[in-house]
Amino acid sequence: MQDHIQLDQKQINDDLLAGVLGMPKWWLPAVLFLTLVVFAGLGSFGYMMNKGLGVTGLNRPVMWGFFIVNFVFWIGISHAGIMISAILRLTQAEWRRPVTRAAEVMTVFSLMAALHTPLFHVGRPWREMWVFPYDFARGVWPNVRSPFVWDPSAVGTYLIASSLFVFIALIPDLAVIRDRAVNPLVKKIYGTMCLGWRGTPRQWKLQAVAGILLSALVLPVFVSVHSIVSWDFAVLIGVEGWHSTIFAPYFIIGAIHSGVSAVAMLMALSVWLWGLDKYLRPDHFDAIGRLLIVVATTWFFFFFLEWVFALYTLEGVEISLRELQVFQWPYGMLFLIFLATAFFIPVPMWMFKSVRRSAFWMFFTTLLVNVGMWLERFLIIIPGLVRRQPFTFDWGTYHPSIIEILIVAETFAFVALGMLLFSKFFPLIPIFDIKEGMVVRDEIKIGRRIVPATIRE
Amino acid sequence: MAESWGMVIDLDKCTGCQACVVACQSENNIPINDEGLFNQRRAIEWIRIERYWEGEFPDVKARFIPILCQHCADAPCEPVCPVFATYHNNEGLNVQVYNRCIGTRFCANGCPYHVRFFNFWEPEWPDSLKNQLNPDVTVRSRGIMEKCTFCVQRIRRTGRKAAQAGIDKSDAELERGLNPACVNACPTQTLEFGDMIDVLTAVKEGTRLPDEPKSKAGAKVKKELEEDGGRGYRLREQLGTNPSVVYLRKVDEHRKEVITHG
Amino acid sequence: MASGHAEHPGNPALVTAEDVTKDLLGKHEGTSNNFWRVASVFGILLILGIIGFVMRLSDGVSDTAVWGYYAAMFAFILTTAQSAPMVAIAPRIAKAHWRRPISRVAELWTVVGLFNLLLFIPMLWILPPLSDGRRSLWFYFDGGDVPSYSPHIWSTLAILGLVVIGVALLWMSALPDFAMVRDHAPDGWKKRWATRLARGWIGSSAQWNMQKHRLGILGAFYFMMLIFVHFLISVDFLITLVPGWVDSLFPITHAANGLQAGVATVLLTIWALYKFGGYKDYIAFDQIWALGKLLFALSLLWFWFWFSSFNIFWYGGKPEEQAIIELLMSGPYRWAFFGVFFFNFLFPMWTMMWNPLRRSTWGPPIIAASVLIGTFLDRIRLYVSAYSIDGIGNPAINKHVVVEIPETIYPSLADIFIMLGALGGMVFIFLMATRLIPIVNIWEQRELKLYEIHKTFHRTVVKVLGKPD
Repeated sequence: MQDHIQLDQKQINDDLLAGVLGMPKWWLPAVLFLTLVVFAGLGSFGYMMNKGLGVTGLNRPVMWGFFIVNFVFWIGISHAGIMISAILRLTQAEWRRPVTRAAEVMTVFSLMAALHTPLFHVGRPWREMWVFPYDFARGVWPNVRSPFVWDPSAVGTYLIASSLFVFIALIPDLAVIRDRAVNPLVKKIYGTMCLGWRGTPRQWKLQAVAGILLSALVLPVFVSVHSIVSWDFAVLIGVEGWHSTIFAPYFIIGAIHSGVSAVAMLMALSVWLWGLDKYLRPDHFDAIGRLLIVVATTWFFFFFLEWVFALYTLEGVEISLRELQVFQWPYGMLFLIFLATAFFIPVPMWMFKSVRRSAFWMFFTTLLVNVGMWLERFLIIIPGLVRRQPFTFDWGTYHPSIIEILIVAETFAFVALGMLLFSKFFPLIPIFDIKEGMVVRDEIKIGRRIVPATIRE
Repeated sequence: MAESWGMVIDLDKCTGCQACVVACQSENNIPINDEGLFNQRRAIEWIRIERYWEGEFPDVKARFIPILCQHCADAPCEPVCPVFATYHNNEGLNVQVYNRCIGTRFCANGCPYHVRFFNFWEPEWPDSLKNQLNPDVTVRSRGIMEKCTFCVQRIRRTGRKAAQAGIDKSDAELERGLNPACVNACPTQTLEFGDMIDVLTAVKEGTRLPDEPKSKAGAKVKKELEEDGGRGYRLREQLGTNPSVVYLRKVDEHRKEVITHG
Repeated sequence: MASGHAEHPGNPALVTAEDVTKDLLGKHEGTSNNFWRVASVFGILLILGIIGFVMRLSDGVSDTAVWGYYAAMFAFILTTAQSAPMVAIAPRIAKAHWRRPISRVAELWTVVGLFNLLLFIPMLWILPPLSDGRRSLWFYFDGGDVPSYSPHIWSTLAILGLVVIGVALLWMSALPDFAMVRDHAPDGWKKRWATRLARGWIGSSAQWNMQKHRLGILGAFYFMMLIFVHFLISVDFLITLVPGWVDSLFPITHAANGLQAGVATVLLTIWALYKFGGYKDYIAFDQIWALGKLLFALSLLWFWFWFSSFNIFWYGGKPEEQAIIELLMSGPYRWAFFGVFFFNFLFPMWTMMWNPLRRSTWGPPIIAASVLIGTFLDRIRLYVSAYSIDGIGNPAINKHVVVEIPETIYPSLADIFIMLGALGGMVFIFLMATRLIPIVNIWEQRELKLYEIHKTFHRTVVKVLGKPD
């Protein structure tokens, strides 16, 4: 980290709390606009609930459409928070420090957004709670063999664990805000939230232990969530394109691919919106770019294996499904866009150091990745269902209706709104972590060279 | 020992007249499928006749196959339902419990026979038809799945009658009452219905078929499975779903090779 | 042990880089009698293996079923010795300092690749040809013109590439050490060989840059090649032999098992060096601890991959899927499967969760031994069962589905000899290689002396680790 800037503690506090104690000019209009989009989406949902699912573009056999695509996409994005925080914390990677908070908060909000669409997409949303094992009056336990019962429990656990994760890391920063707030009411609120944090060695130790413990415990949850989401598809023998053993790891690695890309986008946005370029250095973009090369290549290998084994069976249904995915309009075009944006444009670009170190180009490439990964889910789910089934001539395609598009837009607006509201009340870059990073950073002189170094325990 | 209801469909007899489809629609309170619904691909037909053309003009032949819920013994739609809205009962029926269903449509994706239907809209009938609704069958609201039940309401009614008369449900006297609407309506007796527990169990476990099957339908299946060049087969058997519906292949002397759907 | 730094600040006799060089070269020079005793035991096992192979060969290669154990041993060496170098490559790319004393051990195992290359040659005859519609990775269509030997060609090229890259990696990493042996060691065959192999290494900046660069590239290529070989071997030599087995995750499960067993191999080797080899000053708690954690993580990963596959088969329940589960797990090789499950997952997981065991010098090696036993059983379970299905003209196979599950094949005397011989040969070749190449990387140890300093921080002494770009 040669271009590191050593800052004093006061400076760090001032910079990172600027968004909390003040308010940027664009903040209010942005929040109002996003609220509008959220309400438009919720209104569409109300209309859909009132009229029935006929207002969507769903049909037989395309029983799942944009809603489920969007669900898988947001679950995928939510994997970044844990990936960055837990794994990099356990491996003591220094570059994680300014990135963790934003990633974790994104996890929480994207999980909530992910929950929207499957809740909206069922035929009778007012009876949704029947998938939870509470309903003793009904006398029917949920069917534990169904992946749709595994889903709510896994996602729920993940949501609770990641919220806890955010909160544990937030406590020392809450105390800083408490100490700097002027309004006594605000002081009181933050004082309550930070649970009496005084910064004693014992408190620091407990906070660190809790962070590491949560990191280790949340990793299995993180793996289980997307595995289970993939099993929503892979357990079905009726849909040939979905019944594949690689789905669970393939979904996970795809989730990491899109999630880490989303974190890179967030980093670029933090630099532009809040001017945090003293904290998010080109080195951080470089590190995340290198990580993305590895993740993207692994993801591509899994994608390749899935295709190899689909063709290896030499079965008519599989081959015609692949033909549908690759050669038929509009899937063929989407497939080309997907391959280009998810792998063939970004990965060669990340090979260049100048791309990796530029916030703009990292934003651009990772935006492409997320477009591609959204399409990837679309291309798994929709052509998988559109396939030509035997014993029926219900062959057709699927056109999303305006209602579906509005609800999908709502999830994006919801996450953005959540992040903006969070950034108003809490610092998006962990103050204590940055300060710790400044303390443990050191240098070693070897001959004429100065090598960056880290203090370890 | 409880029953395991099954059906035999003799494709050699099917003329594609669609009487079964009409009978099913009226028996089971299925809303009118107009052209708009067909174009949206949201029509509901618990039993449907699929038509295939074989050969080149002028030597062209029409082939028909009625498709309905196969009531699989190992149904892929059952384990995926989170709320037990679809499950296998002790009579070998794959039942759909309407008021438990929350409409995830997971089962529809799981079904390899494309026989599960979702109510995208609230069902509607013209006023003139409202009095013909069958009081024994629930009208399904929007947002839930439905499918062929083997006319479970008729099976129940026959059960009650049989209990009153002190005879067995499968008794020949009660046959008309027991048979699903489609079976009764078929002018060529393509469809036959009956308790096939002995035959289906033997087929599933790969053991010898019973000497005297319990029902006529069972006897027919036994004959066609045991004979040399017998015509019996089940749809997509390689999926291991163990359907309760057995199809009998069409007899065609001009055909060189035997092709099964599957 | 309460903390990872109990040895700190280390042996007072090894403060400077020169001390380290002298000490390590001295250890490399001397060969104890015990070493030769151990080596001769493994040498005898190797000879037994050759006898077993000749016995097996006398049966001919037309019946593939009897070659199952041989194939399993080939795969076992691929999974352990040839996967071990990843322990050197991955931490070196991540610039982790704990790898320094053990990276050479991991790389030395690539030499065993040469032995495995020999073992691979008969496999070409054992692998059934692509006739009779056997499914293949190479998309053999019925009546198509695909040459029936295509899997043989690609697998051979891949495994040859892996071995060549592996040896090149070892040599590149050992260059500076050869130069040190050349410059400091007394006259003898070691010095002559080192002079020849050092290729005029004088330690100029250009040479160092070149070596670092090439090590990085060779390491990345070795990793890719290893994954590729696991992919080819698991598809060509396993999946295609069993009709109806379509498991797109399997190549990755195979490779994950390879990484797991590779870490276990290195862990066990460094434990032997720590305990019996007199390298306590270099290999210590830190290394065993780090590898133990890695082994723990990889064991969980293996389980997850296995479970992901199994879950789909079990839930799908198609006849072909049920046949696969019966063949590989619940049927004739049930004993092997339960062994694998216990040794590769249950035992490592439930013991490594326990702090006193994970943070000890004796715990992780036990787990490593357990993982190696599990891997051995796993190769037997997979390869012997796959080879026992005779795909050509077999009535028990109906349209790519196994209808009849074959009987268990237990090892004959020849198979037992082959198994002992493969294990013996593996260790014997490794032991011989340590005589030529120093088993602890001297230049990486010297480098550590530059990057690791100790500083007073407030009231304690802390370790400062340099991380070069």
